[in-house]
Amino acid sequence: MTPAERDPLIAQATSAWRPRDADGGARFHPAFCDLDGPGRRELHEQLIVQRRLEAALDPDGLTTTAHAVLHRIRGQ
Amino acid sequence: MATIDLDRHLAAIQQGDADAFARWLAGAEQPLRRSLRAFATEVDGEAVLQETLLRVWQVAPRCTPDDKPNGLLRLGLRIARNLAIDHLRRHRACHVELTEGDAPAVEPTLPDDELRAAIARCRDQLPDRPSAALAARIDNRAADPDRTLAERLGMKLNTFLQNITRARRLLADCLRRNGIELDPEAS
Repeated sequence: MTPAERDPLIAQATSAWRPRDADGGARFHPAFCDLDGPGRRELHEQLIVQRRLEAALDPDGLTTTAHAVLHRIRGQ
Repeated sequence: MATIDLDRHLAAIQQGDADAFARWLAGAEQPLRRSLRAFATEVDGEAVLQETLLRVWQVAPRCTPDDKPNGLLRLGLRIARNLAIDHLRRHRACHVELTEGDAPAVEPTLPDDELRAAIARCRDQLPDRPSAALAARIDNRAADPDRTLAERLGMKLNTFLQNITRARRLLADCLRRNGIELDPEAS
């Protein structure tokens, strides 16, 4: 897999949006499934950095992951 | 440095206080995410993490504190690991080698004031389109896929993704110039 193929997939999978199954559970992102092993490792590292950035930008220190989960908990 | 004990939020969480859970989340997310590193090539850590956090919320009323800090976080680490292994068993035959170095640290993390101030300055310096793409992701709070966000901004998906990547790189570069390195290995 070339960087030109890999980078857009990593960029997509860094979103906290995930498809839902019939029970509302989070399924794997389609872009994650298309990534190779090195791309998935890179995604893991980028997610750590990106969520740190998001937490630092949020007044409550919450990431988009946290907001997605709280949204489900609050039934919004 | 004193350990942050997120169990100070436990009693309120057990009463169904979602705001208290949000405060717990702010410190617990990073160690939980890091704990999934050993599974990174096999399972989508973001999906597993979101399911983990929901289960933590569901089982928190049954969590009994012991004499160690961060009991709920330690419970979350077990849930995350079990969910990841469950995914492996259901979907894959491969085996993940867990080494000593993969043992998760139970150390909550919170953004520090220096990072907050620097990133606010750096965000203000972003060009319009990367800034718009980043804001769309953050403000949407994972409600919609990128394709939808791109359409709202009048961008093609690939353009939107390029702007997301560019925003992240520009922020990291700007932070680096301010003496802040966002190393994934660091807290």
